[in-house]
Amino acid sequence: MTTAAMAPPAIASSDATSGQARDRVFWGVLMLAPYLLVFAVMVVYPVAYGLWLGLNWQSYKALFADPIFVRTLVNTVVFLFIAVNLKFLMALFLSGFFVQQRAWVRFMLVLFILPWAVPSIPTILSFRVMLNPENGMINQQLFHWFGIVEGPGWLTDPTLAFASSILVHIWKSLPFWTLILVTGRLAIAQDLYEAASVDGANKWQQFRFITWPSLATLYVTSTLLSMIWTLGDFNSVYLLTGGGPGDLNHVLATLGIRYMRNNNLDLGIASIICAMPLILPMVWFMVKRLSKGAE
Amino acid sequence: MRSLAAGAALAAIAAGWSGAALAQETVTVWFTKGFYKGEDDALLAVVDKFQKATGVKVDLSLYATEDCVTKSVGAVQAGTPPDVGFCTTYDFRTTGQWAFEGKLEDVSDVLEPIKAQIQPQALATTLLMNDKTKKKAYYAFPVQQQMMHITYWKDMLEEAGFKESDIPKGWDGYWDFWCDKVQGALRAKGKRIYAVGHPMGVAASDTFYSFLTFANAHNAKVVDEDGKIVLDQPANKAAMVKAVKDYSNISQRGCTPPSSVNWLDPDNNVAFHNRTTVLTHNATISIAAKHLDDMNNQALTQEQRDQAKKNYYDNIRTAEFPNKPDGSPMTNLAAVKTAVVFADGKNKKRGKEFMAFMMKDENLRPFVEGSVGRWFPTTVEAAKAEFWTGADPHRKIVYKQYTDGTTPFQFVYNYKFTTVNAENVWAKAVNRVLVDKVTPEQAVDEMIARIKQIAG
Repeated sequence: MTTAAMAPPAIASSDATSGQARDRVFWGVLMLAPYLLVFAVMVVYPVAYGLWLGLNWQSYKALFADPIFVRTLVNTVVFLFIAVNLKFLMALFLSGFFVQQRAWVRFMLVLFILPWAVPSIPTILSFRVMLNPENGMINQQLFHWFGIVEGPGWLTDPTLAFASSILVHIWKSLPFWTLILVTGRLAIAQDLYEAASVDGANKWQQFRFITWPSLATLYVTSTLLSMIWTLGDFNSVYLLTGGGPGDLNHVLATLGIRYMRNNNLDLGIASIICAMPLILPMVWFMVKRLSKGAE
Repeated sequence: MRSLAAGAALAAIAAGWSGAALAQETVTVWFTKGFYKGEDDALLAVVDKFQKATGVKVDLSLYATEDCVTKSVGAVQAGTPPDVGFCTTYDFRTTGQWAFEGKLEDVSDVLEPIKAQIQPQALATTLLMNDKTKKKAYYAFPVQQQMMHITYWKDMLEEAGFKESDIPKGWDGYWDFWCDKVQGALRAKGKRIYAVGHPMGVAASDTFYSFLTFANAHNAKVVDEDGKIVLDQPANKAAMVKAVKDYSNISQRGCTPPSSVNWLDPDNNVAFHNRTTVLTHNATISIAAKHLDDMNNQALTQEQRDQAKKNYYDNIRTAEFPNKPDGSPMTNLAAVKTAVVFADGKNKKRGKEFMAFMMKDENLRPFVEGSVGRWFPTTVEAAKAEFWTGADPHRKIVYKQYTDGTTPFQFVYNYKFTTVNAENVWAKAVNRVLVDKVTPEQAVDEMIARIKQIAG
């Protein structure tokens, strides 16, 4: 009797609970809806449409038949390896200098950040003018000072032109990554350095046993992020050399535009999709690292 | 009450007017914006006359050269093209392909009756293959054309200690004269000047135009009239090897600015105007025409206008290419700029009518002449006009080059050569020789293989 008398409220309670759960789900979905909608429109659709456009297998056959494509793949990997590593070694070194809290160092940091802060197009084009083999400032001075009629082909010799593109890329993005590493260094407790100093650790030992272990996670994550951005860097190569001379210095980011300019959308899409095997492992690895950090 | 009645009357008039406007037939026309005001003025006059004659409204849009073709390609792909399109790079990039794919309206019924009025060489470039009908027909209107010219600074030549009569007529002697004697003399005076502005950038249409002129000089035939590749035939291949060797040689001997390997289309003009080079080859006489334009430009000072006049009439010379290496006169490679009526256009009937109206000599001639010599006419009468045969020192050379004979680009016979040119296999072969130091024979073998992949 008691049990029977108690049963209806128990059922009512269960209904209330499931009702509340349904409400929670409903409101959760409702709250999520705008984000999911934006995600679908801004991410899922463009990516899916791009992949759909890239489903023409003939394009990949044509792509690999183009002698420039294989050279472009090699260029991309070399560009990525040199630019990212050189940039981060320099950023690590410079961050040690800029972390100092002196007024003149802070002033220099403001100047140092300028290349990153100003717009890409005019600054890279100004490099293009400066490096012009005939009228550029450098070769003009070589002619006036030393009578050298044919100065180095900064943009016309394939090796020098490629090196110039890497240099411009580093010049443009180095300040940002230096700043990131400066903030990383600032987060390290000063007590550690004081204790190490008392124990007789020299500067190198302080770097090796305090700075580097504290910065390593930030360094690796930033490197991954920079690799993804560098892979998509169009401006440094295109504005400086147009992928030249003779289409010899293209990277994947510029090759797609070359095809599209030639009214060949399929090859343009295919060349961009070819970057996926490089990008996806980096993104996956980075997300994994960030998840670890969150835990 | 009176104001209410007036308002009602105005509303009725407005409604009637807008109704009439909505009912008015429209033809949509896209054109490349002219380089000179005279071109646009002439076009607007034609539009006005057509509207008055037919009562059809012309919805005219003018686009910059690159925008014009890009927008057209997008519209054709989307199935929403205008009725009429005329972009000055259609012939280089799209006309042949569109005709092949059945995207263009057959305009034979318009051109056949006026065939005799059009120069045969120009007309021949619009007889194109349609893969759907499996036969050739006229799919474009030959509006105007361009040829390759030599342009040099006469005063710089004199500064080097030479007269125009010293310039050799033979092929090898000609380039040796400019590279060795003229440049040598100017360098001896301590000037960092190059004799030839020699386009070599892969992204420049100037490069393939110039290179194919060199190939033409060596009689290197690339395709036959059926569009079949004949470059691999021993005689043609040998001729192409000579052309690559010749074209590279000007750079190898330091006779062109090193940056010419990266030049885009305007760069040889800029180098010439800056007097960095004594000579350049250019498709159209736009370099000289710039000074003609400046000399009449009221925005410039009197001194600048006087200098421009002196440059146009005294200092700058337009000249023909030297004789071919075999001693015969040069036949000039002509690019005929085409207007088309799109098959997916909403009012293609009126589109055809508009182009038929435009092609009338009294309408087309002012449009072409509005470019102050940059474009040459395609109609027989306009070519013979005083404008070309008169005293103008530059235009009369263009006329002579035209009468010496012209020859079309390969893409007229095989539209896939638009891709070959866009990829610029020619410049790449030259760069392989210059940069990678491969032999011209190997560079040409690679060129032939690539051409066969694209257009075979």
